[in-house]
Amino acid sequence: MIQTIAYGLTIGGILYIISIGLSLTFGTMRIVNFAHGFVYTIGAYLLISALPFVRDNFFLGAVIAVAAVIPISYVIERFVIRKLYGVSIDYAIIATYAVVLIGVDLTKWIWGASPIPLSDPIGHDISLFSVTLPMYRVLIILLALVIFGALTVFFKKTIVGKIVTASLEDKDAVKSLGINVDKYFSIVFVIGSCLAALGGVLYAPITSVHPYMGMMVLLISFAVVLVGGLGNIKGTFVSAFVLGLVMAITGRYYGPAAETMVFVVMGIVLIFKPVEV
Amino acid sequence: METVKTGLTKRNIWKLLDIPIIAAGFFIILPLLGINRTTDFIIFCVFVLGFNILYGFMGRLSFGHMLYLGTGAYTITLFSEHVSQNPLLAILASLVAGALIGVILGPIIVRTTGACFALINLAFCQVGYFLVLVAFSRYTGGEDGMSAYFSKLSFLNFGNRYIVFGFVLFCLLLTYYLLKKFTSSPFGVLIRSIKENETRVKFLGYNTFTYKWVTFIISTTVSAFAGALSILNYGYATPSFIDPSRAVEVIFAALIGGSGSLYGSIIGGVVYMAISNYLASYVPRWEMFLGFALLVVVFRFRTGVWGFFMGLLNRKRKALAR
Repeated sequence: MIQTIAYGLTIGGILYIISIGLSLTFGTMRIVNFAHGFVYTIGAYLLISALPFVRDNFFLGAVIAVAAVIPISYVIERFVIRKLYGVSIDYAIIATYAVVLIGVDLTKWIWGASPIPLSDPIGHDISLFSVTLPMYRVLIILLALVIFGALTVFFKKTIVGKIVTASLEDKDAVKSLGINVDKYFSIVFVIGSCLAALGGVLYAPITSVHPYMGMMVLLISFAVVLVGGLGNIKGTFVSAFVLGLVMAITGRYYGPAAETMVFVVMGIVLIFKPVEV
Repeated sequence: METVKTGLTKRNIWKLLDIPIIAAGFFIILPLLGINRTTDFIIFCVFVLGFNILYGFMGRLSFGHMLYLGTGAYTITLFSEHVSQNPLLAILASLVAGALIGVILGPIIVRTTGACFALINLAFCQVGYFLVLVAFSRYTGGEDGMSAYFSKLSFLNFGNRYIVFGFVLFCLLLTYYLLKKFTSSPFGVLIRSIKENETRVKFLGYNTFTYKWVTFIISTTVSAFAGALSILNYGYATPSFIDPSRAVEVIFAALIGGSGSLYGSIIGGVVYMAISNYLASYVPRWEMFLGFALLVVVFRFRTGVWGFFMGLLNRKRKALAR
């Protein structure tokens, strides 16, 4: 049982890393960004391409993959997302979905459609409280905590973070202070995309890498964001770990239902707490 | 000056002739595409109509409409297997099932708007997909699907392709007629007002929840109808009828045709089916093409093909009048 909980926390950690970017774009720009799932996928693929160049050093490969996502996400922001500010939310959904279609086809073109397996980069096990866990999963949980701490500091202490937090509350008031909100949004967008790519990189060794891997994860992260509250940084953190645990515990008793259970929880939460979008 | 038109003016005739025009249109493309494809196209148009009543008229984008199509498809199949092979009774059963799922899920779903509406539909669709594929695979055949058999009813022999074509076309025209009546009624005007500004409609004293719920039920019923017709056509139900990842097809079709127009839905359905049927065999990277086409539609032709032509026509008419 403890092992199941630990696995759930791993999934929760990855979900948090992926969802935070989604939550921020959702909260600040009111845009449902399907392209987030594509960025996640491309992160994992870039890792695979980068590994041979750095002699299979996972850490360096991850850094390269995340860095390479910066220009990609900037292009998406500049040419698609920026044109969607203030437009009806339906068009935003469709346009970002179109980006996913293009991206998935591009990945299939470059890397092929068949899944690529990746082995655990660390391989050691660690014994904690009489259960053995792969070291890699423990590191993921720690990394998620570090990122949560870093983001909290970022939003509380830095000027960019403060502006974004303020715009989450009241965009027009921040604008009236003469601040170019959109510029800061694009910074947040790129940060969120990098974190999504990092999520893809971290999740790649646990499952296999394939062009459609982003879609399911994206749906689950949407559930995380809706349960946690749009643009709510702390809420996203809590809901990511709770839903991760839900997935792991369901998966233990009835494997195929793991992902469906997340949506059941989301449905129940939405019944009692409708989200105003 | 716009005057109230009564009797058969030139414009009224066009409005009355729409059903013969649609029928004629499908008879024209029948020899071009062959009977199987045309039947496919018509069924898809029914689905687009069901989707568009929610999206185009009420302004709620559902990302999980495959659930309602799948409900119809699996109900008709299970009904023919366990209850009766009478095709008309089976279709009736799937209509009831479609309405029922709208009645049950409606109160949860229609309270939300925008992205939340899209995603909660998607979530329910995912649950439905799981139920069909895994949880109830003993009854639905899981990934392999299951076949449906229907008995002959005097002249309605659904083994004959031409009978199926005629029946399906009749169903499309019937759906079109009923939805036209519905959207031009005061009820239809009200749901369009909800699309424009729900707060104001509430302010006028209407209970918008009931109107949204009823529209949602109509949409799910029509979608289930389309699902039942596809089974009548294929004779085989697979989980692809309820696959959440196919939701984008109907959205794209509604967008091409232009949301908020019944004619547009049918044009969009035909155009989308033509693209997906023929493009894949000529353009190797057709998903990418579809993506760029969607972006162009969103950024340039918000009103869709039908709206674009209507806009051109109106501009011409105004220029002539001047």
